[in-house]
Amino acid sequence: MNALVEIRNVSKRFVPRLSLGERIAARLGQPIETRTVHAVDGVSFAIRKGEVLGLVGESGCGKSTLGRVIAGIHPPSAGFVTLDGAPLLGPDGRKRTRRVQMVFQDPFASLDPRIRIGETISEGPIAHGLTTKAEARAYAAQWLAAVGLPADAADRFPHQFSGGQRQRVAIARALAMKPDMLVCDEPVASLDVSIQAQIVNLLLKLRREFGLTMLFISHDLGIVRHISDRIAIMYLGRIVELGPTEAVYAAPAHPYTRALLDSIPKLVTDSETLVSFKPITGELPSPLSPPPGCHFHLRCPFARSECREIVPIRREAGAGRDVACHFPLET
Amino acid sequence: MTALLAVSDLATHFATRQGALKAVDGVSFSIAEGEIIGLVGESGSGKSVTGFSILGLIDPPGRIVGGSVKLRGRELVGLPARDLRAIRGREIAMVFQDPSATLNPVLTIGMQMRLALEAHGAVGEADARTRSVEVLARVGIPDAGRRLDAYPHQFSGGMRQRVAIAIALLNRPRLIICDEPTTALDVSIQAQILTEMRDLAREFGTAMIWISHDLATVSSIASRLLVMYAGRIIEEGPVADVLREPRHPYTAGLLASLPANARPGMDLRQIPGSTPSLFDLPPGCAFQPRCERRSDACIVMPELVAVGPARRHRCHHPLAGAQA
Repeated sequence: MNALVEIRNVSKRFVPRLSLGERIAARLGQPIETRTVHAVDGVSFAIRKGEVLGLVGESGCGKSTLGRVIAGIHPPSAGFVTLDGAPLLGPDGRKRTRRVQMVFQDPFASLDPRIRIGETISEGPIAHGLTTKAEARAYAAQWLAAVGLPADAADRFPHQFSGGQRQRVAIARALAMKPDMLVCDEPVASLDVSIQAQIVNLLLKLRREFGLTMLFISHDLGIVRHISDRIAIMYLGRIVELGPTEAVYAAPAHPYTRALLDSIPKLVTDSETLVSFKPITGELPSPLSPPPGCHFHLRCPFARSECREIVPIRREAGAGRDVACHFPLET
Repeated sequence: MTALLAVSDLATHFATRQGALKAVDGVSFSIAEGEIIGLVGESGSGKSVTGFSILGLIDPPGRIVGGSVKLRGRELVGLPARDLRAIRGREIAMVFQDPSATLNPVLTIGMQMRLALEAHGAVGEADARTRSVEVLARVGIPDAGRRLDAYPHQFSGGMRQRVAIAIALLNRPRLIICDEPTTALDVSIQAQILTEMRDLAREFGTAMIWISHDLATVSSIASRLLVMYAGRIIEEGPVADVLREPRHPYTAGLLASLPANARPGMDLRQIPGSTPSLFDLPPGCAFQPRCERRSDACIVMPELVAVGPARRHRCHHPLAGAQA
């Protein structure tokens, strides 16, 4: 299968701006500690045409930042992203293509409260010549219908919709740009449980109808398993494991993946079994000062001396899987 | 078994310009000493307001308009503020969803713990310190003695929640109301806290009300489950029984919609429609417009009926369980 999007050695660093006092101190020759956050640290992988790739990790692991780099919102600090072999960003560091679109977590924040839904949906397509001002209404109605909303929704404002309906609007806005690829950043996390299934089903339907490629970012391992063909697990800015979803869930190769899967509470339908978690010990280290070597070694039950010093390179582990671990688990 | 807490016909309404919003509308249940119950529902179902009402933490325009809350036979509804304060934190403690909102950012952890102890009796500074260190260590905070002098912002989210739990445990309450205490945390931290809370409850014999929207989390800690919808309890029973054989179509629908119960890549079973607005509830059963089993009978509110010794449901057309 062909790669639609390739991510090559992408890093994204955030350097906080110095305060006035710190700038003065720096002028006067004081050493100032700049606390750089390595949100994404040398990540490479490819997203195949038509696949749904799940990107999973805990908060602060850099999954949302990576999603934004792939959507062309953040320019990477190093490395590059290509779409069909061509760079995603122009020479000025800005995205020119409409072919990658994004759906955000919070539909209350991602829709402009003062603009009618119809205008929100047709604004981008008009700018990209996909429709004209005269035809904008019919164009918006077409995409509202695709996400299961009535045509008269176009005349309403975001506050007149429930959370689930707003997320449908946000999806319609992304689709109206006729993208090849959708980056979905926690699209169901802020919705009620009974509404989550509706949005997951909608995304599955749209994928079938439009042959969309998707990057599905989530911390919910159950939903990612359901929707993704392949899954990438991220820990402190790096991809630690990548492979076909069912294979990774059945037999994780990275100790972190296994620990993460063991941490998910499962539905208990048998009162005899006492639930036992095997929680990961310790906490996520601060991305301001990640530990040397393998970032996971502080919490890893199998860590040895190499793990403390040498960064493990992600390498093939057979059957289309790869893992960044010195001592991967048997799969 | 004597009930530690008995809630009967509790009704908490909020006065608004559009009329009374019935956030909790006739809720009854009881908890035995040392029991952990799960209170599950979606946003707006009234699960948090129920928890707040027990402690009398309802501010205007909200008001408990009816019913009773009895702690070992003593009525809490209508109790003067002073008497309620003596119960809060002493007999019933609460852990909230967001620890950064419940801890005071300008006081050290040690000071906040000392204040919590002093509120329920004079303690010396040294005693307060010893007791605080003991409890912090118990909830898994490393180097507890030194951490007493730290401020909340110096802790991670998971550690802050442990501090909040430690404060709740300080006075050895009989009941802890936990309002989505792990929702804001990562799964790996959630698993740690769930295990620790369960062990603590067992060790101290503390009863707990675990409020959550996540059935899986609740099923791993509680022994009895109460499901709420639009301000009322619609199903109740032992956790495993309810999850294996739900009687109410809403509970069944929620369970069926979980990805764990579907084949990967296939459509999930979904409940149609959206959660109703409390201002605009349908007549009769609030779930009826979304329900595939509804009939004309459903425009009359069904009673919460008992089936067998442990189960209750509020439905005219319950799903038949194997043992029904």
